[in-house]
Amino acid sequence: MIFREVEDRDLIATARRGDVEAYNLLVSRWEKRIFNYLLRLTGNREDAMDVSQDVFLKAYQALSKLDDPARFSSWLFRIAHNEAYSLLRKNRPEDELDPAREIPSGGKSGGRMFPVELSLAVDGALKRLSADQREAVVLKVYQGFKFEEMAEILECPVSTVKSRLYTALDLLKATLAPVTEGRA
Amino acid sequence: MSCTNFDWKAYILEEVPRTELPSYQQHAAQCEECSLELAGLRLTRDSLLTVRDEEVPRRIAFVSDKVFEPNWWQRLWASGTKVGFAAAAMLAGAIVVHGFATKPAVAPMTPTQTSAAVDAALIDKLVSERVEKVVAQIEQRQAEKTMQVLEAANKRYAEERKADLANASANYEMVLKQVALSYKNENRMVVGQ
Repeated sequence: MIFREVEDRDLIATARRGDVEAYNLLVSRWEKRIFNYLLRLTGNREDAMDVSQDVFLKAYQALSKLDDPARFSSWLFRIAHNEAYSLLRKNRPEDELDPAREIPSGGKSGGRMFPVELSLAVDGALKRLSADQREAVVLKVYQGFKFEEMAEILECPVSTVKSRLYTALDLLKATLAPVTEGRA
Repeated sequence: MSCTNFDWKAYILEEVPRTELPSYQQHAAQCEECSLELAGLRLTRDSLLTVRDEEVPRRIAFVSDKVFEPNWWQRLWASGTKVGFAAAAMLAGAIVVHGFATKPAVAPMTPTQTSAAVDAALIDKLVSERVEKVVAQIEQRQAEKTMQVLEAANKRYAEERKADLANASANYEMVLKQVALSYKNENRMVVGQ
């Protein structure tokens, strides 16, 4: 991990001098994480792909403004967060959650589910969360950021991050309980 | 320690300090309610992790574009040579300022200038002499060549005249012989009649 950070720092320094290939290497290291983060936020592959490209383009243009290259990941996710929310604000009428929507249960409440069915159930449960709660879960559970890093990305206090995340966990636990009972 | 002191969500999300982990584990082993809470959270987290990351459908890559590349001066400034460049610029500036700030002395008529004028006149004289000498040599060579050509022409003319006289003499003798022969034949015919 330390070596990875050092290498990223070198790539950032080289890219800042106008070396596009160094930046492409940096992109190849981070594109999967950014894409999946955006995919879970937007719920749409094409949107996630388009926004990913915008994120890396904006990051390249603003690379000289990055004060501390060691904080590249949270800086990059901050850009991704802003881009994702720009899109979500535009698409809000269509993306409003439908309270009546039921999550897929596999048809057998309490029965053991196949991994694909469980993934679909989890996907549905995540979509029932608010955008803020969902993003908190994605940053913590899927991207592994610490509370302080999340606060930096989301530009809010750590207490807000914890509040969103804990509420989301309670909701997910309740929503997934019928599905996960059979796995306990 | 009461159950309210344990943040099981922080525990499951790996945000509890390492030093506090044993007390959490010990309490979970003793408290049924907290144990159930922990099991439910763990199951929820594990369920979330069944959703795997997807591969990126298309690779994201950029090509070199002049619009986004820094200017030459930005690259120069960002490079390691910027300190040297700045130092060189300061030194150059100091030289220029010193040059303007120092009052130049009035330049007297120096011996160098007089010498230069004399040298120029001498050079002119030497060149003229050399040119005259070379021209004279060329004229002399041309005169000699002309004389040689004239002598050769006279000699050739004399030889041709001598040859012509010899031919004329031979022709005259032949004519005389033919006249004599003709006269002799006529006399013989008269005697025969």
